[in-house]
Amino acid sequence: MHLHKYEKIWLLFGIGSLVVFLLVLGYGAFWQGTHPQSHGITIDPNNIESNEAFKPENLGLTQVEEDKYILNIAASAFYYDLGKDEDGNAVRHIRVPKGSTVLFQVASKDVVHGFNVAGTNVNMMVEPGYISSLETVMKNPGTYTIVCNEYCGIGHHMMYATLEVYE
Amino acid sequence: MQSKEVSASKDKEKNRQDLKGTLVSVSILGAILIISWVGAYILFISR
Repeated sequence: MHLHKYEKIWLLFGIGSLVVFLLVLGYGAFWQGTHPQSHGITIDPNNIESNEAFKPENLGLTQVEEDKYILNIAASAFYYDLGKDEDGNAVRHIRVPKGSTVLFQVASKDVVHGFNVAGTNVNMMVEPGYISSLETVMKNPGTYTIVCNEYCGIGHHMMYATLEVYE
Repeated sequence: MQSKEVSASKDKEKNRQDLKGTLVSVSILGAILIISWVGAYILFISR
């Protein structure tokens, strides 16, 4: 079969980019452990309190190490339950120092919700029956809005909180 | 016989010239793809 010189060039480019794509995919999946945010860890949506992480006293931000935090959130129409502060008021604002590693764990009590810390890579779907989790390093200081980005009903636009990364 | 050879070599030349524009347009498309991939990767890394 005769191939024109130019055809060889773009065929090589096409096959080459396919190989690069598969290598990147394989590296991400097998070496870095990248996976969908709800990766088969199940929970009873009618009784998420039965899971240790989503007991009312464990909701919100918990410091586990010097630079490591866990943020447990119960999502329901149209509210993110971030736990309560010392005075018993509902927490609407989370503060973490710059450079800290935060593990976000979110579960839904009713319908499908979204969980997006706008302006960061924290963006996941929260499906009833599954725990969505994502660990990330908060390296850019600022105040970010946590929004529900999956339409969940009439009060969808009211479903938000804030996360501040301070220096 | 001779005329056939002449027309064959002419065809070859024609093919080579014809594909230059295709190579340029394919290269432009390839460059756009690579720029968008690299852009998305940089966005992912910086946030």
